[in-house]
Amino acid sequence: MTSETMPAAATSSGRRASPSALLRARAVLSAEWIKLRSLRSMLVTPALAAVFCIGWGSLVCLRYVNTWPTRVAAGKAGFQPLDVNFNVLVIGVLFFGVLGALVVTNEYGNGLIRATLAATPQRGLILAAKTALLTLIALLSSAVLCFALFLAGQGILAGHLPHVTLADPGVLGRVLGAIFYLTTASLIGLFTGVIARSAAVAMSCVFGVFLVLPTLLNSLHGGVWRHTVPYLPSNLGNALWLSHAGSLVRPTVAALGLAAYIIVLGVLATYSLRRRDA
Amino acid sequence: MSAHAGTAPRTSISLETRLRATARSEWIKFRSVRSGPAVLLATAVILPVTAWLLCAYYRNGWATMSPASQASFDPVFISLRGIEGAQLLVGAFGVITATGEYTSGLIRGTFIATPQRAQVIAMKAAIFAVVVWAWCTLLSFAAFFIGQALLSNPAKHVAIGDPGALTAVFGGGLYLTLIGLLGLFIGVLLRRTPGALAALFGILLVLPVAIGLLGGKNSAQLAEFLPDSGGEEIFKLLHGGAYTLGPWQGFAVLAAYVAAAAAPAFLLVRRRDA
Repeated sequence: MTSETMPAAATSSGRRASPSALLRARAVLSAEWIKLRSLRSMLVTPALAAVFCIGWGSLVCLRYVNTWPTRVAAGKAGFQPLDVNFNVLVIGVLFFGVLGALVVTNEYGNGLIRATLAATPQRGLILAAKTALLTLIALLSSAVLCFALFLAGQGILAGHLPHVTLADPGVLGRVLGAIFYLTTASLIGLFTGVIARSAAVAMSCVFGVFLVLPTLLNSLHGGVWRHTVPYLPSNLGNALWLSHAGSLVRPTVAALGLAAYIIVLGVLATYSLRRRDA
Repeated sequence: MSAHAGTAPRTSISLETRLRATARSEWIKFRSVRSGPAVLLATAVILPVTAWLLCAYYRNGWATMSPASQASFDPVFISLRGIEGAQLLVGAFGVITATGEYTSGLIRGTFIATPQRAQVIAMKAAIFAVVVWAWCTLLSFAAFFIGQALLSNPAKHVAIGDPGALTAVFGGGLYLTLIGLLGLFIGVLLRRTPGALAALFGILLVLPVAIGLLGGKNSAQLAEFLPDSGGEEIFKLLHGGAYTLGPWQGFAVLAAYVAAAAAPAFLLVRRRDA
């Protein structure tokens, strides 16, 4: 690939003063930032995610508080305050996947991508800038979401039911794990969007991978399934914040597995963006 | 009103002619939805492959299953469970059949050519429904036969002639058709692809999970009246739950959701800008 793009770059840089790599990176970053900033779903999606997750997560905790006296002893013994609090992330992750997918498919939808690629033929650089900015935005919004969800949920449980604080062993790690999971989900959405080039396909993939696939496959335990189902992105992510791991892998493995998904999809997306028409 | 004044001077076209012309133009547009063939092909992979995977899994594990789970095992539902994955694609297909025209702006040309907007939407829905129904019913049969062939003795399996089996297999095609129509009408309502997709998947997939998180008896009862779990009753042989909705009762729940999306779609498409 590089051999094809090199001659063009070399001749153009020979004629006029070529912008230094740093300058170009800065220009691309600011261009991508403007596009992100003006994308309506960039604000709406994280806001909806926060409202839904914190609201519904609190409702779930409230329901546990209200129904606690009627619960059986086994249920009370197995009660995990953080799991109950964070279970809503099974849905929350969809918002982040969709956020990532819309960042790029919106550009394909309205044709802006062609102007973007014409202005910056260094397509890898464009994807890198998008990735960096999306990571930042997803990291910030998921951090706000997770800590607010934690404080709201544990605040409701406190005084009635067993609850945890951030100082308890392992709790902070699991909250950070949830933030990591949501951020990787948005990157998976982004790379899927680059490969799919259409909002409909990318969104269907996000819902398929994070919601339908686990629904269909999580009931399979035997044989080859025992060694594959825990490595679905959703199950890797859940392993980062669920305390009752069950058949899930250890958090370190889960984090590495998610990182591997990101790298593989990132490489595929870069290849796809450089090789295919916009 | 002004439309009436406009059509009065020249010989008005008969309803039949207009419907035939609308059908033709809608058919051309339906045929040229770019992702259409891909969606139908993917569905043709998902349904048989899921039937094969799940039924092979349960046949191999049959001896180790508890008597209770053997009793509650539904061979028809397991062989048709790929529908749960295929509904994503068929639903999205329904959405883009409607929103694609809004995105490209073609809808304005369509409505100028046929000011009878409700007829356009009805014809669009009819053509979509016929094609999707025929294709998905075929795949439903394929998945059933693959699944039942794999679920040999001693695993529980049924023949197509057994009571309820034929209804369930035809039900699989009907279920997917209604899911596609739900997507289509939501698409007409919202006119934008991402919003319509999010709304469809939200109602279909997220709502059951969200209600399940609350736990308890009330939530389980409520969940039976969601489009997805209600509609699924039609391709199940065994019906559980608090209300024990039968196949056609469950299907009526899904149909009610489709009607609830269709009514405002037909109403608003006549009143709003395209």
